[in-house]
Amino acid sequence: MLVLTRRTGQSIMIGNDVKVTVLEIRNDQVRIGVDAPRRVQVHREEIYEQIARENAAAIREARSTTEALRRARPRQEPPAS
Amino acid sequence: MTETEVPNLEEAVVLQFPAGIPGFPGMRRFALQALVEDSAFQLLDSVDGDGVSMVVTRPWLFFPDYSPEIDDEDQDELRLDRPEDAILFCPVSIDRDAGNLYINLRGPLVVNARTREGRQVVLDDDLPLRAVIEVETD
Repeated sequence: MLVLTRRTGQSIMIGNDVKVTVLEIRNDQVRIGVDAPRRVQVHREEIYEQIARENAAAIREARSTTEALRRARPRQEPPAS
Repeated sequence: MTETEVPNLEEAVVLQFPAGIPGFPGMRRFALQALVEDSAFQLLDSVDGDGVSMVVTRPWLFFPDYSPEIDDEDQDELRLDRPEDAILFCPVSIDRDAGNLYINLRGPLVVNARTREGRQVVLDDDLPLRAVIEVETD
């Protein structure tokens, strides 16, 4: 891993078109700004991992999901009694 | 964002996801097609990959009160100038051991019907990654 030291207001470039800027440092929190082109999506890692994990589960079971749902429709609410 | 009319997708429609979709490494083009005629479920199938796919559905069929807030950045990236151009699908997964079906309400796929570009957005709120859905068959 490349390690760089930056101060508030300073940036690093990743490739030609991704710029990461340190906006504010307070205690053990850092506010970071990211400028990136639209093909690059920026997420907090833990949230990205959650979404990727759910997608992977959906992809892994795509065949059985397709089989289970081929003739299925949303269950209708039971009539109110 | 609310529900909009969608085509019935009997024929596959090819969509571009310029930022890709987590879990589909390197893949940008996807064909979306109804599982069968008039199905509530669709298959999102990678055109570039080797048959990598996932089942998706319209969340409002199961959660009529679902009201995702698509942030300005995602709207800009998708060039969603008109809300009625937005079509939204949620990934469906299955837990065969538990016999449960889930949809992911936190990470919906939003598509601009005009440009046919899509993006999986991540909603900030406390929407579930796995909401149980119930289906019935004939």
